Amino acid sequence: MKKTVQIPLGSQHISLLEPIRFKFECENETIVGVDADVGFVHRGVEQACTTKFDFKQVGFVVARVCGLCAITHSLSYTLAAEKLLDFTPNDRIRYLRMLMVELDRIHSHMLCLAHTAENAGFEALFMQIMGDRELVMDIQEAISGNRIQFDFIAIGGVTRDLTPEMVTLLHKNLDELSGKIADLIELFESNWSLSLKYRGIGALSLEEAQIYNALGPLARAAGLATDVRVETDDFPYEALGYEMMLETGGDIHARNRVRLREIMNSIAMCRNIVGNLPAGEIMEKAKGKPKGEVIVRLEAPRGELFYLVRGGGQNMLERVRIKTPTFSGIPAMMEVFKGSRYADAPAILASFDPCMSCTAK
Amino acid sequence: MQKIETTLNALLEDLGAFYDPKAWHFLTVNGIDLGEGKIELQWIFSRYGAKNDVVVYYALSDYDTPVPSVLPVIPSAFLGEREIVDMFGLNVEGAAAGLYLDKDSQPHPLRGDA
Repeated sequence: MKKTVQIPLGSQHISLLEPIRFKFECENETIVGVDADVGFVHRGVEQACTTKFDFKQVGFVVARVCGLCAITHSLSYTLAAEKLLDFTPNDRIRYLRMLMVELDRIHSHMLCLAHTAENAGFEALFMQIMGDRELVMDIQEAISGNRIQFDFIAIGGVTRDLTPEMVTLLHKNLDELSGKIADLIELFESNWSLSLKYRGIGALSLEEAQIYNALGPLARAAGLATDVRVETDDFPYEALGYEMMLETGGDIHARNRVRLREIMNSIAMCRNIVGNLPAGEIMEKAKGKPKGEVIVRLEAPRGELFYLVRGGGQNMLERVRIKTPTFSGIPAMMEVFKGSRYADAPAILASFDPCMSCTAK
Repeated sequence: MQKIETTLNALLEDLGAFYDPKAWHFLTVNGIDLGEGKIELQWIFSRYGAKNDVVVYYALSDYDTPVPSVLPVIPSAFLGEREIVDMFGLNVEGAAAGLYLDKDSQPHPLRGDA
């Protein structure tokens, strides 16, 4: 009879910055069962959005759900509120919003790649990627005024316009960054030592991705062709050069490849957005009070972000439902862990890019 | 967004007939307090690769009515069901409380009588 032992990972763990606890049931080195506890940082944001804040303020509240994808949260809510107000922003506003979301995807993917490298034991690679990531963060800071906690989007438009200096910086830094990402792709493809840690490890099959509703890079790395950017028409992604990055391996290597290729695609789209930026105001009047129920989906860096907003024609909303990518990704993550070695758990976990701040909201 | 009404009694049968994991992505379970002790429960899906194709199955529940679990049809729904238990204090079959809230937290914070 095989002996099983319970081994925890988190909520505080050297390989895990996020407060989540996995309880692994292991037979020797192999994980055979897993349970997840995600509720360490619950802040009651949904309740606050319907009891403490006016609907015009909620966009700034939900931006605090997550430091990394603040822009996607505030944009999701803002789109929902604008739909309830029957307001359609002009193309310049849509392009500027889309630019910030794609810049955000680049820096979030780079953070994930860095953490995956660190958790596989490649400390120098971690520092190199984090250093290169500053290039995109400098652009975000120049445009929005902040490196992380952007309050760039408001109901009716955006708060700042692009200046010629910002455009120059954007082109300069993205040119430099695309060279560095090309080098990283070469490194991840050909480095034998990285392959030992990434290829064939933590694999999710296409069938498992469908059954457990995987999303974002996790799904696309398993061959599941889903991306909210082409499943909604809030933004003209296809016209600005969007390409879906699909892999079939489903392992850490495939997830890394998806993210690296998506960074290159986002760089190309950012250049196209700036090169084709329509004329117009950056802020317009959105009048009225939200009435009705609407669903908004956006592709955050980690996968689909979902907002359901219901208003009753008052200043205070009746319901703000937030469903974040990591929350939806956890069932698939738990499935991947089963059959993996405990020693691989930190690298596998990092490759999922979990965000508990979003999840527990 | 297409909304389809169902009942708690017919829920599993309706979702079983509708849900094909190869075609539909299960988004989430949601609850909305309508007041007067009524909660609207929603099971939300989007079609892979299609534009704006979202389907919402919804059913009304009282605070005390037992809610069937949809896990036999949608295995990934367990976290959403636990969230409903915490936030609305509903009795979802097989779903434990304590996903987000500690025992000494304010109970069912999203319910109208909270």
